[in-house]
Amino acid sequence: MKKIHVLGIIFIAVAIGAIFTTLSTPFTSTYASFAEAASETGREFHVVGKLNKDKKQIYEPKVNPNLFTFYMVDNKGAECEVILHKNKPQDFERSEQIVLIGKMQNQVFEASDILMKCLALEK
Amino acid sequence: MEYIGEHLGIGKIGNIFVILSFVFALLASVSYFFAAKDTDDSASWKRIARIAFRIHGIGVFGIVCTMFAMLYNHYFEYEYVWHHSNKEMPIRYILSCFWEGQEGSFLLWTFWHVVIGLVLQRTAKKWESPVMATISLVQVFLASMLLGITIFDYHLGSNPFTVLLRDNPDFANIPLLTDFNLIDGHKINNYISKIDGRGLNPLLQNYWMTIHPPTLFLGFALTVVPFAYAIAGLWKKNLTDWLKPALPWTFAGVAVLGVGVLMGGAWAYEALSFGGFWAWDPVENASLVPWLTLVGTAHLMLINRNKGQSLFITFGFAILTFILILYSTYLTRSGILGETSVHSFPTAGMSGQLLAYLLCFLIMGIVLLIINWKNFPKQTEEEGLWSREFWMLVGAIVLLVSSFQIIFYTSIPVWNKLFGMNKAPLKEVVKFYNDWQLPFAFITTLLIAIGQFLKYKNTDLILFFKKIALSLIVSLALTIFMIYILNFTNTYYSILLFSSIFAAVANFDYMVRVLRGKIKKAGASIAHIGFALVLLGALISTSKKDIISKNTSGKDLKGLGETFSNDDNILLTKGDTLNMGNYFVTYIGKRQEGINIYFDVNYFTKDATGKLTKEFSLAPLVQTNPRMGNIAEPDTRHFATFDVYTHVTYADLEFKEPKKDNNDEYDEAKKYTIKKGDTIFSSNAIIIFDSLSTNFDKSKYKLNDSDIVVLAHLRVLDIEKKYETTPAYIIRKSEVQKVESKVDELGLKFVFSKINTENGKIDISLQEKKSNARDFIVMQAMIFPYINILWLGCIIMAIGTILAIIERLKKVS
Repeated sequence: MKKIHVLGIIFIAVAIGAIFTTLSTPFTSTYASFAEAASETGREFHVVGKLNKDKKQIYEPKVNPNLFTFYMVDNKGAECEVILHKNKPQDFERSEQIVLIGKMQNQVFEASDILMKCLALEK
Repeated sequence: MEYIGEHLGIGKIGNIFVILSFVFALLASVSYFFAAKDTDDSASWKRIARIAFRIHGIGVFGIVCTMFAMLYNHYFEYEYVWHHSNKEMPIRYILSCFWEGQEGSFLLWTFWHVVIGLVLQRTAKKWESPVMATISLVQVFLASMLLGITIFDYHLGSNPFTVLLRDNPDFANIPLLTDFNLIDGHKINNYISKIDGRGLNPLLQNYWMTIHPPTLFLGFALTVVPFAYAIAGLWKKNLTDWLKPALPWTFAGVAVLGVGVLMGGAWAYEALSFGGFWAWDPVENASLVPWLTLVGTAHLMLINRNKGQSLFITFGFAILTFILILYSTYLTRSGILGETSVHSFPTAGMSGQLLAYLLCFLIMGIVLLIINWKNFPKQTEEEGLWSREFWMLVGAIVLLVSSFQIIFYTSIPVWNKLFGMNKAPLKEVVKFYNDWQLPFAFITTLLIAIGQFLKYKNTDLILFFKKIALSLIVSLALTIFMIYILNFTNTYYSILLFSSIFAAVANFDYMVRVLRGKIKKAGASIAHIGFALVLLGALISTSKKDIISKNTSGKDLKGLGETFSNDDNILLTKGDTLNMGNYFVTYIGKRQEGINIYFDVNYFTKDATGKLTKEFSLAPLVQTNPRMGNIAEPDTRHFATFDVYTHVTYADLEFKEPKKDNNDEYDEAKKYTIKKGDTIFSSNAIIIFDSLSTNFDKSKYKLNDSDIVVLAHLRVLDIEKKYETTPAYIIRKSEVQKVESKVDELGLKFVFSKINTENGKIDISLQEKKSNARDFIVMQAMIFPYINILWLGCIIMAIGTILAIIERLKKVS
């Protein structure tokens, strides 16, 4: 066997590894609803939804600047309490859509990160 | 309706240039195609082609100038101008407005192709026709992105000169456009005098954004040269002659694209608050990956220049690199990235077009490779195991695998769309990429270290080890020293630390001892040193990044639960001085400048006597960005060996009126039901309920022995001091009396209002003085050690590559 073939085989093997880690669950998260996240507690999910502006939000930076709780309604209409282990994002109330990244634990969504889409102000 | 004050003439001129550039690119492409066929007519075809390409160039220059004129004169009747600029914007950002939108950035790309094409017309000699045929075809596609015409209901491109603001359906019925004055029986509307543009996104109003895009796009544009040469080589069935003239261009691409990518990193480090220069963001990956394959291409071309080996793979790399450039454009412009990226372009409905171009060139490349399959020389002898060419080939393949991993994971949104999945990148995506890429980086740096010490064809191993031994020993010693001073504990990082140092040292050694310091010949060595330093800087600054904004307020929050341990934020109350890393920091106050709100924070160091000396101040800001909401922008203090990087994560943006002199007034009481050991918080302290006691001198309050007195022992901790306070609960002849207690220094008042004998819980009401409510910010701060090695490496790499280009150009001529 030529050396180039050995290189080719190693290349293919590593490439398969790269494909595998991209497509398999432990290395990716999944867009899901709260219900789906609840069915597999402990796994990371992306949940997309909207802020429930009627329910209370608690952020007391003087007590803990890294703790913010609020309620979000996912795209299927289910509501869940969210504990975000980060600062309350600036402009949070103006968010149009929220993407939470985190895990479901004891009926509460423990989010480690948040992405927001804000309302465009002009027009 | 008659709209007055519009400047529609300039748009017509611009549109003529657009049509000119498209038609003549087409003509140039066709005539270069025939010119390349080596028939009797080819000379006249070539004459036509040359003129056609120059007219195409005039068209592109014309478009650029017209667009500048429109932006400079604030012609908001054109949607592009309205969308990307306004009257208040400083004139120096006019360049950024130019390429903020898709049309402008495509134009920038087209412009660089024209410049490259004009140079090739003068220098490519016998390769001119076949190479320029491909480049002109690329130009046809790019020029069509600006056409803005509709063919059979399909909208081709977006034309900044014909899309008028008042035609935008969103504005169809607004009074500004529908109101009119009747003058001499004419309906006159003068909206032009009343409007202002939407303005340039403030995040892009940064000097990096004036130089990063043109550099990056020049890098993109340069990849078309090896691609066009490779296609020409396949087409003309001359598989090796193209390497020599194409090499300097490929090197130029490596230098410019590399610098362009890192400039993007510098912008992110300076203007974005994700905390670093590299986040493996899809947009960053999309430009890094073609750079990696371009570096592979350049090295494979070198092998072939010196030894006719692995020719087929070389073609594959050159074609793949250009395809990856198109793919990265597709990823960032089609809107497919959606939520996974912070800074992809808004869509302009050109994704189908982009995909069509990509497939067109991909198929063209593959078909030509298959047709020529038999023409590739059969390799009779294999590369020697200890030959330079073999290990360079290994290096190129490592770069290819590395690119493949990055682009495959980055393409998750594409796979989602293709296969109907709903996957998302991990939260810990940075770690994921780092883990994957670390071995590749290790092998690459190791190969960089030994590469030049290996000889083409075969190497005398004993001689090789003799030569490299010095570098190896020096690198090992340096690595151990750095592991010690930087306190490296991770084994894998330590290994990469070694290989990067080895790469830098060995190339330096090669330059000094083998090349005897002849700088002119040392391009490759210098570029390699630069690359090794980039990796070294990235490795140290990222792995030893130290978040110093841990909670140091003196309040012991760890005991309160797991969630308190991961805090990377510090709370700074105005006026208080807190310890943060090696510094003591004080939040001074906030101020507003335009749309930016700055938060001034002073940094002090404490000497042995406890005296504080001010070192510097930083003013991280929150930009109240009208387009994207409020955005925190960092402020960084640069030192030679480290950077202090800070940004505000939460702050009250309101500027409240200073309160009147109500220092003695208390706010409303807050009631807490607590048991022994519980903690309550005031705005400036934490209060722990230690115990109850009855140990009280009753005579002082003229109490009888039968009266019951219960004291609540409260420990009050603020940042510096500890206080004791004991509110009392007294039952005097079945009548309850409460004796309040105060901590005057902190403006706190406590009342012991109830006692529950069953569960031992008590009620405490806490009142704070109104003056306690002070302004505060929540901030994140981190130290990036030795990040300057990275920037230095970038400059050295560029210098080295330029030296190599100069050397190659000498060989060409």
